[in-house]
Amino acid sequence: MSVTPAARPAQWRPPGLTLGVTGAGLIALLVAAALFAPLLASHDPTVPTGLPFEPPSGAHPLGTNDVGEDLWAQLLYGTRISLVIALVSALVAVTIGLAVALVAGYYRGKVETVSMRIVDLALAFPFLVLVIVLAAFLGRGLLTTIVVIGAVIWARPARVLRSQVLEARESGHVVAARAMGASGPRIMGRHILPRVAPLTAAQFVRAANVSVLLEASLAFLGLGDPTRVSWGTILHFANARNAFLTDAWRWWALPPGLALTVAVVGFAFLGYAVEERADPRLTRGARRPVRPAARPPEVVDRGPGEPALKVRDLTVQYATGNSPMTAVEKVSLTVPRGRIVGLVGESGSGKTTLAMALLGLTRPPARVVSGDVRVAGRDVGRARPSLLATLRGREVALIPQSAMNALNPAYPAHRQIAEAAALTRAGPHAAARATELLELVGIPRPRHRAFPHELSGGMRQRVVIAMALANNPSLLVADEPVTGLDVVTQARIVELLLGLRERFGMAMLLISHDLPLTATVADDVLVMYAGRVVEQGPTSRVTTAPAHPYTRQLLQASPRLHGPHAPLAGIEGEMPDPFDPPPGCRFHPRCPDAFDRCRGADPPLLDLGDGQRAACLLYDS
Amino acid sequence: MNAPLLEMRDVGKTYTKRARATARDVRAVDGVWMRVEAGEVVGLVGSSGAGKSTLGRLILGLERPDRGAVVLDGVDLTSLGGRALRAARRRMHLVLQDPYDSLHPGMRVREVVAEPLAIAGVRRAQRRAQAASALEEADLTPASAFLARFPHQLSGGQRQRVAIARAIVSQPRLIVADEPTSMLDASLRAGILALLLGLRDRFGTAFVFITHDLALARYVADRIAVMHEGRIVELGETERLLATPRHPYTRTLLDASERVRLG
Repeated sequence: MSVTPAARPAQWRPPGLTLGVTGAGLIALLVAAALFAPLLASHDPTVPTGLPFEPPSGAHPLGTNDVGEDLWAQLLYGTRISLVIALVSALVAVTIGLAVALVAGYYRGKVETVSMRIVDLALAFPFLVLVIVLAAFLGRGLLTTIVVIGAVIWARPARVLRSQVLEARESGHVVAARAMGASGPRIMGRHILPRVAPLTAAQFVRAANVSVLLEASLAFLGLGDPTRVSWGTILHFANARNAFLTDAWRWWALPPGLALTVAVVGFAFLGYAVEERADPRLTRGARRPVRPAARPPEVVDRGPGEPALKVRDLTVQYATGNSPMTAVEKVSLTVPRGRIVGLVGESGSGKTTLAMALLGLTRPPARVVSGDVRVAGRDVGRARPSLLATLRGREVALIPQSAMNALNPAYPAHRQIAEAAALTRAGPHAAARATELLELVGIPRPRHRAFPHELSGGMRQRVVIAMALANNPSLLVADEPVTGLDVVTQARIVELLLGLRERFGMAMLLISHDLPLTATVADDVLVMYAGRVVEQGPTSRVTTAPAHPYTRQLLQASPRLHGPHAPLAGIEGEMPDPFDPPPGCRFHPRCPDAFDRCRGADPPLLDLGDGQRAACLLYDS
Repeated sequence: MNAPLLEMRDVGKTYTKRARATARDVRAVDGVWMRVEAGEVVGLVGSSGAGKSTLGRLILGLERPDRGAVVLDGVDLTSLGGRALRAARRRMHLVLQDPYDSLHPGMRVREVVAEPLAIAGVRRAQRRAQAASALEEADLTPASAFLARFPHQLSGGQRQRVAIARAIVSQPRLIVADEPTSMLDASLRAGILALLLGLRDRFGTAFVFITHDLALARYVADRIAVMHEGRIVELGETERLLATPRHPYTRTLLDASERVRLG
């Protein structure tokens, strides 16, 4: 089969980076203006150096105000005050917010209840009223402005950061530190603070953004420090001294307004970029799609004898740095109709990359380099997106890894299944179908309208299976369908899957790290190691007479309930580095039976009879 | 007979679970009696939601029981507070399931492993030496190759060994291991189990080994306690319990295990 030339993925840049650089540039511009004000302006901003209401000229680039003070100098020196107030207020607000968040989130209990109610109050209070009251009460001045702004905006960082603290508190290293007998301050300082620091930085930029506007508003209302020039006070005096009645507003009010805009836009861009770095989840899904290369026409071959799934020589690589990393290498497999095939591999074996490729879900930086995948005779690699969408769900359904933890928490189970079923049928029929499916997977009727969080892990996995079955697919691909479930639940899900095959003749590809478990369900098993299939065959052969040393050792590493109580045997060494795989057989560094040739030659899959094949030179006579 | 290392006397813990408008009480742990002798490995086995992890947290003093006593070396932990409780915790340690989550991503291995010592106020020079020897005990040799690394530079199996090194560095009497191998590849699992058993043999460390997998418990536990709905429904010497289970729930667990494990 020919190689499918896919477009090379363009060098991917996070979208926030450009924004961040722009934002930082704008803020740097303002900071430079503030720092170099004495160099850039030749006049003292608070001393009349010209006639009142002079238009812009060489001596006064922005003209003068009503008492003849240089407006250019005022703008530059005003930048100092505006920025200092913005940054100091932001620091005050975020410090208070962080302290409240840490104490509330770590100690919980009554402390949390009380402080969070105060936060709610602070958030709900009409802040302008608070600002005016506070400013009037404390008297005008720089410190007052900072205190007032800090007091008004600390609550938002407090709330945002508290949720982060709550999350950090439950992480393993915090639990471990508590179990070590660490004190509260130590845990907060050493364990929780570093985790919330990136988001704290983002909150700081956001707070600076709000502060710069609040300062301008306060000063404009005449509540700022009248002895110091800031953007707000310039605007205040422009308004108070009738600048808007003459042309003077153009050089008096417009420049500070523009400076304010630059500051707000700069902080907003920077804040976005910092927040994105703090929480990479925000960028997921924002990757640029790669335009597929021109495709040869699709070949449809849908004879009744076509297997549910046929994969031939599939190779998937990740474009990383200079040399691509091969995650799946020349894998071929067939899932005949009505059969259950197990694909077993440990972490790093490439099994999940393979699963994604089966449904045409390979995304950059991964790409299918060669080989083809046919679902019910249709070539997934060459199918148009619209056809792919049709294939998915109707011909083949995927249960991704950890899908049971990815159900939409906002909707009841029944509704989520009905939505999936609505792909091929009208609303009322979809609802009926959802009910039917939930019964089929063994969820009792009273639980149909339950929300995901109200269901146990096993129940959620049943919901996910029901969703996958919604449109009668002929093939089910399930990635680790029982991982994370306890043994009793695992056994029940296994029964359910076997029952589905029995009733509907559904073909399945079960992907798992657990060879013993897979062996109890699958008719045929493939064992993958470091991107390659090392052994395949009927389950009974593979588990009772494993041919490849890896398979054999994997079985010896599996605990058994009965039989002699010999210690479990592990496999020496670790999975090879995918960027630098060993030459020859990938398993040879860990293999007890390795000999010289294993280090040089790639072993092909050798036929051992009875459908069993192994990629091992021990059988190469 | 000597006093046991750990004794749980009628320990109970109830949570209030809120779902929509209704609140109901969930008895996570409901009247548990259990003893762990010095140097003994007790497997705590049950389904998810049976209360195993909560019991583990109660042993470590991370949760306060509503009733009953948790007695370690003759001292009832539930009677302690603040500083005394934190000091008592230092005689125990835990190993968690997720080796990615259980190590602070910003700390180097030497800081991670030495943290229990730092908390106990051990001097810096001594901390270094002890951290290095704990890493060697956990088969991360030579320790010097690992001390300066960050967790993200280690594989899953190596991280779990770092977590174990941290657990043993202050030579605790008891380690609670909560599913310590369930997130590891099968090929690495045996190595971790052998390491834990080796520690027991050399230092006489007792273990409470929490798992949902009876087959796995068989390879580590001297005795198995089967937990169901907050109670210990059966407790016995491992091979006897597997050969002649008495409680119906133990049989359910055994049947399920036989279904999904090799015979």
